[in-house]
Amino acid sequence: MPLPPNRVDYSPIIDRPVIKWPNDARVALWIAPNVEHYEYEPEFDGHRDPWPRMPYPDVQQYAYRDYGNRVGFWRMADVLDKHDIRCCVSLNVAVLEHFPEIGEAMVQRNWDFMSHGIYNTRYLNHYTEEQEREFYRDTIDTLKRHTGKQLKGMLGPAISGTERTPDLMAEAGLIYHTDWMHDDQPVPIRVNSGKLVSVPYSIELNDAPLFRQHYEGDYFAEICKAQFDQLYQEGAHSGRVMCIALHPYLIGQPHRARYLDDVLGYIMSHDGVWQTTADDIAEYYIANYYDEAMAHAAKLNG
Amino acid sequence: MPAERRFGMDHPHYDWSPLNTRGILRWPDNARVALCVIVNLEHPEWDPPADSFTTPFSGGLGARGFPDYARLSHREYGHRVGIFRVLDTLRKHGIPATVAMDAMTAENYPYLVRHCQEAGAEIIGHGVSLSQMISSNMSEDAEREYISHSVAALTRATGSAPAGWLGPEYGESNRTPQLLSEAGLRYVCDWVNDEQPYPLHSPHGEMFTLPVMWELDDVSALWERRVVVGRYQQLLEESFETLYEDGQQNGRVMALNLHPWLIGQPFRIGYLDRALGLMMRRGGVWAATGSEIVDWYRDNPPTA
Repeated sequence: MPLPPNRVDYSPIIDRPVIKWPNDARVALWIAPNVEHYEYEPEFDGHRDPWPRMPYPDVQQYAYRDYGNRVGFWRMADVLDKHDIRCCVSLNVAVLEHFPEIGEAMVQRNWDFMSHGIYNTRYLNHYTEEQEREFYRDTIDTLKRHTGKQLKGMLGPAISGTERTPDLMAEAGLIYHTDWMHDDQPVPIRVNSGKLVSVPYSIELNDAPLFRQHYEGDYFAEICKAQFDQLYQEGAHSGRVMCIALHPYLIGQPHRARYLDDVLGYIMSHDGVWQTTADDIAEYYIANYYDEAMAHAAKLNG
Repeated sequence: MPAERRFGMDHPHYDWSPLNTRGILRWPDNARVALCVIVNLEHPEWDPPADSFTTPFSGGLGARGFPDYARLSHREYGHRVGIFRVLDTLRKHGIPATVAMDAMTAENYPYLVRHCQEAGAEIIGHGVSLSQMISSNMSEDAEREYISHSVAALTRATGSAPAGWLGPEYGESNRTPQLLSEAGLRYVCDWVNDEQPYPLHSPHGEMFTLPVMWELDDVSALWERRVVVGRYQQLLEESFETLYEDGQQNGRVMALNLHPWLIGQPFRIGYLDRALGLMMRRGGVWAATGSEIVDWYRDNPPTA
């Protein structure tokens, strides 16, 4: 019996149709900077407190994140440019409205965008169905208006969602969801209409959980390289996805940016790396492997 | 108020200004980095007023049952022992201290006030006590009274009114910058969002931020995140190297916020000493007090 939430068929990675990436690449590498704005005086939804340290505003925590937009983003972008990385930004779409220079810098680089909600201080968990539908209309329209791009995927705002989220995403025309940390390859997510897949994001190769603890840039570089080495080896048989998740207020700190440089220099010196975006991974997977994966999982699960 | 979706910041205190779009900031003698070291002297109260607010972890060990001898005395170590090590280390490297002193310290530790003054430190406002943060729980009148009490205590103890301010635990309400300006302060260190000073909006005269590097605050790195002290030295050095490189194009400020009860422990001080030594051996570093940096910035704003 499938277990709740019954969205993804069990499919062991050793027993699946083989994935071949374009040009026989072993690893599809995507870099996901989280470009965010946390509100000065957010509305508390009664459940998850954006600024738990003290009554709002929490100037220290607000300004720490604001550093990302004023300073860190630009230092991070310099490092990414050095390695010709085309990112897939996890975007609080209100950033486009508040801080147009950041939007222009991302459009200029032809980066892709997935929605990360409107603000990082507004969570989906308690949205009604109609509020959530409106939320997708809003994020799709806002992205289109400011970047000309069609929204294709989402990492829930501050990684939040509802039980309805995959269905409503697919209904709104989105094709991928990155809240799923369950695999090294894309997999289909069962929805009421259309096709939706997960594209592996990372809560491990991610500067936010890492640098809240005592780990520092050298450790970040070490684990990113180790992850790559393993996936690169396995990807010779069947293509793997590797995501590095960044936050400009963290990786853009003056003591850290060099470690991103180190990681990208290492990975990009290898042949067989498809440096791409979640948009392109999702489209490629749906075009080439979605139906086969569904059929295979159905057979496997009887 | 939740943010309105429009251009700029979602509060009235300063303008949106990405660093890469600014004019060039030049420090005295074309220094690349203005180095400011802020040293906190703050008193945790034995029995704080019932309506006061502080964060659970302020003071290090976290709140426990009353009376809490260990937590209070751990902080007191800074006043009795740590401060002298820290000031000696700064003097060794020719770095003038900027001491953030709360009213309770100013009123009850005349020896320390004198010692800091003799060491050439600038003394800036740091609230009333560690156990009384500014927050939105305060009424406007109570906050005004709080700031004025802190400023008056420092003025009495030091003979002059403070020019700068750092809230205990970086605490502010949504009106703090205006009230600080109204009280005659010229700069505030609570906003950890930049690598250059910048102007704040105030109807009461010129007001600036002197942004601290929050990640390099010893409480953030050593206490909250538990970075080991050798790695902390490396953090300071790596941060400096990057700011030094970037400061060649556009001047940077490196404002460190340190706590003598923490960095002043015998096993830690040497790591600070070595990091500051590396910075000060380099040419093009301007070690200055908060006021010197803000005054220079005011008189020599960035130019295109």
